[in-house]
Amino acid sequence: MTLSELHGSGRLAACYPLVPGLLAELDDGELERAGRLLSRLDPDEVLRAHPSTPVVAVAVTGHRTLGPLLAPLTAELARHGMLVRARLSDFDAYVFDLGDPKSALYEARPDLVLCVLDPDTVFDEVPVPWTAEDAERALDALVARVRDLAVAFGGRTGGTLVLNTLPLPRRFTAQLVDHRSRARLGAAWRRANARLLELGDEIPSVIALDLDPLLAEGVPAEDARLGRYARTGLSPALLARYAREVGHLARHLTGRTKKALVCDLDGTLWGGVLGDDGQEGIELGEGLRGEAFTAFQNVVRQLGSQGVLLAVASKNDPGPVQEALREHPGMALRPDDFVQVTANWRAKPDNLRDLARDLNIGVDSFVFADDSAYECGLVRHTLPEVAVVRLDEEPARHIERLLRDGWFDTRELNAEDRARPARYREEKDRHTFLSSFDSVADYLSELDVRVRLAPVTGAGISRAAQLTLRTNQFHTGMLRCQTPQVSEAADGPATRVLGIHSGDRFGDNGMVGVVFTRRAGDTVHIDNFVLSCRVFSRGIETACLSAVLSDARAAGAHAVEAVYRPGPKNSAVRAFYPDHGFTVTGEEDGVLTFRHDLSDPAGIVAPPPHIRFTESLEESR
Amino acid sequence: MTTIDDFLVLVRHEIGLPVGPEHADVPLDQVPGWDSMHLLALLTALERQTGRSISLPDVLEAESLHEIHELAVQS
Repeated sequence: MTLSELHGSGRLAACYPLVPGLLAELDDGELERAGRLLSRLDPDEVLRAHPSTPVVAVAVTGHRTLGPLLAPLTAELARHGMLVRARLSDFDAYVFDLGDPKSALYEARPDLVLCVLDPDTVFDEVPVPWTAEDAERALDALVARVRDLAVAFGGRTGGTLVLNTLPLPRRFTAQLVDHRSRARLGAAWRRANARLLELGDEIPSVIALDLDPLLAEGVPAEDARLGRYARTGLSPALLARYAREVGHLARHLTGRTKKALVCDLDGTLWGGVLGDDGQEGIELGEGLRGEAFTAFQNVVRQLGSQGVLLAVASKNDPGPVQEALREHPGMALRPDDFVQVTANWRAKPDNLRDLARDLNIGVDSFVFADDSAYECGLVRHTLPEVAVVRLDEEPARHIERLLRDGWFDTRELNAEDRARPARYREEKDRHTFLSSFDSVADYLSELDVRVRLAPVTGAGISRAAQLTLRTNQFHTGMLRCQTPQVSEAADGPATRVLGIHSGDRFGDNGMVGVVFTRRAGDTVHIDNFVLSCRVFSRGIETACLSAVLSDARAAGAHAVEAVYRPGPKNSAVRAFYPDHGFTVTGEEDGVLTFRHDLSDPAGIVAPPPHIRFTESLEESR
Repeated sequence: MTTIDDFLVLVRHEIGLPVGPEHADVPLDQVPGWDSMHLLALLTALERQTGRSISLPDVLEAESLHEIHELAVQS
């Protein structure tokens, strides 16, 4: 079954969950055609058949005609199983769209605003004839204007504004015949681009995409005829690559960033076959191909250093694999770089499922890289939710293949991310420790769990946002928040954002959860309660809920109300509030509301005895 | 690609629109699902298939699929 067959038979909406699989192996031209089909599909029709499909509201604005962006944008989001509700602005509307608080763009309340800038955004304001200084003045004015608009945007909406750097086409530089002026134009252009990129650091709601790396792949910046006659800015090919970046951004913003990279070994992390060639015979470290494999390992290690969990799934005997990882002089990756090394003769999809269970994450968090067409096909077929990176026999191309899609793209990285692989390894040690006890209670009391509940500040704000974005299981309110939204809630007079920090005898877990509360009259609302899957089943959630209830009572509240919104994976927390003394007060479309009457202190569940709990809630009240 | 039927096959394939001979001569805005952006995609596909350059201003001014086909075969 192909996409056009589904479309032709009128079943595209009904079969939308199949779409990512159908798009996974398309080449650029096929994906472009698929985008045109998909962009005519009504998102509401899909939602009627599949109500839990994530939808991203995207407003597209800018200087030139941006219609050609819609099809690739739709295709890229569809690759990730998402729907796009796109709103295309009129020609050259970005100043009005972003500058007027009553604009239709703001009224549409988009999750993402793509403000696509192109070289003519500058040169339409440069007189003819012109000098490098004229262009520099126009660049300065543009950057100042974009900055003002971005600041205004940040104050008006919780959405994300995507800006981009401006390509510098030769049709402008070559109009200056002296090299000195040309160089001045080039320098001013780069300064403007650098300032646009810095806006991403300066304004929390802005993400600045650097188009230079895309252009460096050989993608044309412009199309002369389309630019002239159809008034487009960037070339269709560049818009398609831009859309791919936006697809990963949308994936991140909807809490679907990939968490783990699972690599094959033979032909992937080294050349040759370990079982046949022996440790001395594999290609790694030395020789042209050996160096290429080491370079690839370094890139994998680089990803691991930023919180991507690395694992191995290889058809090999485990002993020689461990030896090679430990001892081979050309190995850039060592056993400690991996959260798990699985070497056996089982089918890889089975190993991936087991790995997901051991790490307590979904298989949809995996990216799987393998040089075998067979293994890639099997994983794609059996576990369509796994992103498959198909490598081949040319190791020099492994790096670009792996990085072609920004599977692990995230808005910002914090200390918690960098420590993540170590935390997962500690978690495995805890499992081993657990097996030496007769009962869970014995285990927990020996585990020496420490929990601290305190309002988030500083770097904790971005970590809190990240928890709402990454957590899918223990997530009662299913409210994904960006950093600015968390910041607002943390600073609000009636709202609080409480970070849950935990640790135990194996180490510090860092900030593992977050509770959003809001006081309205004599009621405290728990708008969201999020806990990382790494620390389930230790009573941490009970200790924290107990503290929130006691604190509400001490602050004179008469009741605490809470909510459960169903998400794809959070059904386990449906009973969280009822299990802790709340009564159900309403149910609509699967959304449950709860209330806890605080009048009787005995009705507040006691914190588990094995937890050493500290909180600093009073001073923040 | 020589006949109008070949051309309609191309439109169906590239744009995914269910067009038939009955749509060849109607104004483009009456072709179900038509969008002016389709012209750009169609031009690229036509040039790729014919190996010839087609005038984009003329394509942009064409009023029916039939007219686009004529531009593609005459140029």
